[in-house]
Amino acid sequence: MADIARTAPPETRRKARPLWLRILRNPGGAIGAALVLALVLSALSAPWLAPFDPTKMAAGRPLTAPGAAHLLGTDELGRDVLSRILFGARLTLQIGAIAVGISLVLGLVTGLSAAHFGGWPERILMRATDVLFSFTETLIALAFVAVLGPSLTNAMVAVGVAAVPFYARTAYATALGEVAKPYYEGAIAAGAGHMRLILRHLLPNVLPTMIVVATLGLSNAILAAAALGFLGLGAQPPQPEWGYMLSAGRDFMNRAPWLMLYPGLAIALTVFAFNILGDALREALDPRSEGR
Amino acid sequence: MTAKRLRQLGLGAVLGCAAASPLAAKDIVWARYGDIDTLDPHRATSTLSLQVWSLIYDTLLATDAAGAPVPNLATSWEVSEDGLDYTFHLADGVMCHDGTPLDANDVKYTVDRAFDADNPSVTQASWGPITSAEVVDPLTVKLTLSSPFVAMVPFLADSFSSILCDSNAEQEGFGTTVAIGSGPWKLDSWTKGDRIVLEKNPDYVNHGKLAENPGAPYMDRLIVTTVPEPQTRLAGLKTGAIQIAEPPLDDVPALQESGELNIVIAENTGQNVFWEFALHRAPFDDERVREAVARATDVDTALMLIYGDLSIPEQCPISRGVFGNDQDFCAGHRAQYDPEKAKALLAEAGGWGPDNPLEVNMLVWTGGKRDRLAEVFQAQLAEVGIKANIQMMDIGTMNARVRQENETPEGIGSMDMMTWSWYDPDILYALWHSPGAYRGYTSPELDAMLEKTRVLADPAERKGAVEDVMAYLLDKSIHVPLYTPGWEWVFAVRPEVEGFHVAPFVYPIFNDVKF
Amino acid sequence: MLSYLSKRLAMGLATILIATVAVTLLIHLVPGDPVQIMYAQSQGTTPEQLEEIRARLGLDQPIIVQYVQYLGRLLQGDMGVTIRGQQPVADLLMARLPNTLLLAFSAMAIAVAIGLPAGFWAAYKRGTWVDSAVMMTAIAGVSIPHFWLGLVLMFWFAVDLGWLPVAGGGPLALVLPAMTLGLSNAAIVARMTRSSMIDVMEQDFVRTANAKGLPKAVVQSRHVLRSGLIPVVTMMGLQFTYMMGGAIVVENIFAWNGIGRLAIEAIFQRDYPVIQGFILVFATTVVVVMFLLDLVYALLDPRIRRS
Repeated sequence: MADIARTAPPETRRKARPLWLRILRNPGGAIGAALVLALVLSALSAPWLAPFDPTKMAAGRPLTAPGAAHLLGTDELGRDVLSRILFGARLTLQIGAIAVGISLVLGLVTGLSAAHFGGWPERILMRATDVLFSFTETLIALAFVAVLGPSLTNAMVAVGVAAVPFYARTAYATALGEVAKPYYEGAIAAGAGHMRLILRHLLPNVLPTMIVVATLGLSNAILAAAALGFLGLGAQPPQPEWGYMLSAGRDFMNRAPWLMLYPGLAIALTVFAFNILGDALREALDPRSEGR
Repeated sequence: MTAKRLRQLGLGAVLGCAAASPLAAKDIVWARYGDIDTLDPHRATSTLSLQVWSLIYDTLLATDAAGAPVPNLATSWEVSEDGLDYTFHLADGVMCHDGTPLDANDVKYTVDRAFDADNPSVTQASWGPITSAEVVDPLTVKLTLSSPFVAMVPFLADSFSSILCDSNAEQEGFGTTVAIGSGPWKLDSWTKGDRIVLEKNPDYVNHGKLAENPGAPYMDRLIVTTVPEPQTRLAGLKTGAIQIAEPPLDDVPALQESGELNIVIAENTGQNVFWEFALHRAPFDDERVREAVARATDVDTALMLIYGDLSIPEQCPISRGVFGNDQDFCAGHRAQYDPEKAKALLAEAGGWGPDNPLEVNMLVWTGGKRDRLAEVFQAQLAEVGIKANIQMMDIGTMNARVRQENETPEGIGSMDMMTWSWYDPDILYALWHSPGAYRGYTSPELDAMLEKTRVLADPAERKGAVEDVMAYLLDKSIHVPLYTPGWEWVFAVRPEVEGFHVAPFVYPIFNDVKF
Repeated sequence: MLSYLSKRLAMGLATILIATVAVTLLIHLVPGDPVQIMYAQSQGTTPEQLEEIRARLGLDQPIIVQYVQYLGRLLQGDMGVTIRGQQPVADLLMARLPNTLLLAFSAMAIAVAIGLPAGFWAAYKRGTWVDSAVMMTAIAGVSIPHFWLGLVLMFWFAVDLGWLPVAGGGPLALVLPAMTLGLSNAAIVARMTRSSMIDVMEQDFVRTANAKGLPKAVVQSRHVLRSGLIPVVTMMGLQFTYMMGGAIVVENIFAWNGIGRLAIEAIFQRDYPVIQGFILVFATTVVVVMFLLDLVYALLDPRIRRS
């Protein structure tokens, strides 16, 4: 599916100025934040914003070109494309959040346990991560869908699980620095609880990095799920999922190009928004990486 | 071996590969949306496969334009008084593609192979209750049945019963690289996902196929290519890289108007698309709920929206062109579109309605724009208070799933948009005689009615028996017919190509083609 | 160097071995019964016959036995036969693998040909409008779904202008899918190249060279490019996995007859032997190519060569 180059953000440093201000002072961050905000707002207010029911057939004449009655036209069943895209935003955010949630939780559990315990658990977990990593996200996601069958839920799980190796690696690498500090070894020697150490000391230290990874990961997850939808292996009709809409629209490439134009644009804008926001977040957390 | 076998429409959302290389002048290029599964007629059931088998292999019988069986390799046949012995007399001088004569041994080889205990044909049951194939003399073969089976004759006219030359047995790779038959075209090569190259069989003599040409095809080669994108097929047709192909549905009206390409629409395809239900459990164990589905479904509007005028509504459980089909008779029994009545039925059956919808699963198989059609039906059902969750799947999966649903005593209601294609009302026996193709609805009285359709040799009597069965299925809304698909088998033909036509049950004939 | 390579090799072999375990388990995790699916369309089969077929396929054996048998057959190049049509799976995959590799490598060439100069240029002009423009384009490029880009390119070049075939085989038909995949990844290459170059530019030896008053162009080409390229080359393996993954989607848009199209078809048809074979072939291909790149890298990089 959609693999995006991922660069693990370097370790973070605290600065006096509040984080949100640092993000917004960056033009990319400001644009990204604005786009994401617009996306979230339109997703939340879709029932009021959308002029029509997204699944209502014959809301207009089939294949009406964009115009006053239907700003983005209608599809071959006469459904309003704008309404479908607005409702699709809800699905898209949901997909992104759930998939990234899965990756984040499983990745943190794996990475932090490996770093904390060391020894054979570390070797086994990180070797397994390496092996999964070389399977590539695409293959893992496809295998999952092949077993579970095509559906939106399964696509979310597949995309989420497929990205776990990357999250685990990043969490592990970030946590290693903390584990190596003398106080940590001391705490272990003094018999501090494992859970306590992981939650109190490791988690807060890796979290800033992981937030950046997750923001960039959102764009990756959204792209991957849309690709599955496009192939017919994700969302099922009549869900107005953008990837599926795009794939259904290709039959009408000649007569109704808007059917493939707008869903594609919606995906691209969303992914773009999370990408630049993620970049800005990384820069804000790590000023050295400015301009990279 | 009581049940019968049927044919199903081709592959689902299959994506194939295009032909783009330069071709010799005497080639016909026919582009389709998907590829065959195999060249072995005992290993697959898709229409895409059958169409190609019909070019390479011959059959004992053939069909006339109306779909009735006529002599072919067998110039005549006799049936014993008790209906258990069929004796076929073969045409003399028929040659297999490898130069060996085609005789009674090849017929016996084919039948024995279909019934091979280790690896039976996937269509084994369609052959009927055959117990033995016996070579009487080189040109006479006798098939013995354990019980009468009138549908065997139409089966022997279909490419499921392709006669395989016994020399295939000695060949490595039968079904993949080798396919020796006696049909008008010889296999040259098959690249899966891309193309099948066929050469004309110079020794071919037409004994009964629906072609005017008495001998070998006029053209040297026939290339059957896989081109999944409709727009690509159209582009190929326009440039002349392709002579014959299914055009994009949306462009058909414009093509018909401009006359740029000739449009041939297959008739008597025998295909029947219908609702069926998991009848052993709620809510579809209730006849009123099934009737509500039938009454909520506005087939005419849905077809017009998705297929234009290229598919026609069907009232009978067996489609036009099949023995016993009678639109008026069936319309009198099938519950017609009436959303108000549907609402009333749902309210009465379980208090369901638009505010308190009944949730069910709707299984639909991929391809042929059925996903779009299902979305329209989904919206229509929603209006009367049925929330149907569409589940798209490949036809093979759906077959397994429907059976599984029928065998599961609990769970939310399940209905499916099934498609069967067959040349004889015996399909109803396969579907609804116990145990039933999908372990679905059966009853002793229906069994008795179906059994009559298998043994009555007199056409008028058999028609009456078939009508009884259809009335029973329609009255109880067990098998709710929707339409006969035409659009997948619309052919656009380049104007210079002469002699292309399509025999019943969507078998294209290339024997007469020239340009 | 040998220990580095043998470690890599062991890792690759482990990956392939784990893939074989995964595909054996896969068929047991799917809801439904493959034998039932295989014979779903055949009304005449009795439960006894189904049992017989199950026994013939070895599905009635304990899973360990099945795995050993599967491995044994794999070593002989046997991946079983397809459920639809009973064709040998290995032959099907091997006939199509070259098409996928051709697509992936062509796309990689395009990605490098565009992304490398663009990234270098942006680094060279760091902080100027050129840099911003290149980087903005790159982020936009990463954000555009390749399945959308593919459709747009198809609409433009094939349907509208009619310059290129929409789909099919042959060199001309390769142009659009390779462009689609290549352009998407050019953005990634550009970003990587730029940041790698900037790292090098900030290093002391470059500053020294600049301070010595050497012309900027000379410094850039002699020092920066050479050192900056090493990390870029090492990222090629990862790039290749993106290409293989992307090829699955792109093949389906352009009807390119590769293993990705076969796989998606098989998922829809629940043709598990094909899915199993696909996973193995895909994983093995990635492992082999990664290993070859490691080999090249080990030969190029003096630090590894010496170790």
